[in-house]
Amino acid sequence: MNNLDIPATSQTPVVCFNEETQTLSIVGECYPENISKFSSPIFSWLNSYLECLEEQVVFTVNIELIYFNSSSSKMLLDLFDRLETAVSEQQKNIVVNWIYDPENESALEYGEEFKEDLNDLTFNLVEKEI
Amino acid sequence: MLEKLYEFKQMHDQCGVMLCFSGYLSQELMTGIGETLRNKLKQEEDSNVVLKVFAIFVEHAQNIIRYSAEQLVSKNEDQTLGGGILVIGKEEGHYYVSCGNSIQNNKIPDLNEQLTKLQKMSKEELKQYYKEQRRKETPQDSKGAGLGFIELARKSEKPFEFSFDFINEQFSFFSIKTLL
Repeated sequence: MNNLDIPATSQTPVVCFNEETQTLSIVGECYPENISKFSSPIFSWLNSYLECLEEQVVFTVNIELIYFNSSSSKMLLDLFDRLETAVSEQQKNIVVNWIYDPENESALEYGEEFKEDLNDLTFNLVEKEI
Repeated sequence: MLEKLYEFKQMHDQCGVMLCFSGYLSQELMTGIGETLRNKLKQEEDSNVVLKVFAIFVEHAQNIIRYSAEQLVSKNEDQTLGGGILVIGKEEGHYYVSCGNSIQNNKIPDLNEQLTKLQKMSKEELKQYYKEQRRKETPQDSKGAGLGFIELARKSEKPFEFSFDFINEQFSFFSIKTLL
């Protein structure tokens, strides 16, 4: 399995996979000029990863975004949809943690809106410990 | 222009302008302006206000970069530059972001219809519409997700205002203002 380690830029979050904990983390801010250019390596990685993911292994996705623009919001929904399909059609074991800063009013709201749009994917709203 | 510069500055002050950019805008430049804006706002506002103004600024700026009729593609990279004007200021205690760029006249009817529709929607309707549109495939001619104006309408305290000024047979100047 190729590793995924995309460093943060001023307009994109750090995206990295920890093999030991089987955790994908997306942390930072997201408002690139071209969202598909940013997201396509992530989706390619994810597709091959999900292909090999064994049912008994729990794949955790931690998302902690301070700010993301509207095109990134669409990308996130595509990501969650992809994960949800893996859960409902291939019985994969996936947990998404939407980590929000309680002082950031929109962060929780955005998380709730994603959660409302998902049925089979475990989507936890997790308050960030300060 | 030298004689007009002070007049220009006075006009900005009258309109409560904090920051104004006019010319070709790139993503890189937008990021720099955005950082300056955040640093300035952080000194006087709480983090939610800072983030809200910044979010509106980004959607407006990316609209200029993507959709202005004045487009340049830089030689060294695949970076797009869009011509326009972007103003961030405060009036009667409310922050506003105004932006303007030229557009082709044949794009006006669709844009006018779309923005008028958003203007009339309640916050709940906007939320539902946002979620509906987010589920759709990205339109072919869209470099983003086509959600920018809906996001602006949702973040705006009052419905946004917009106008079209005739330039010539081919182009008009599109202005839009979001108030927080």
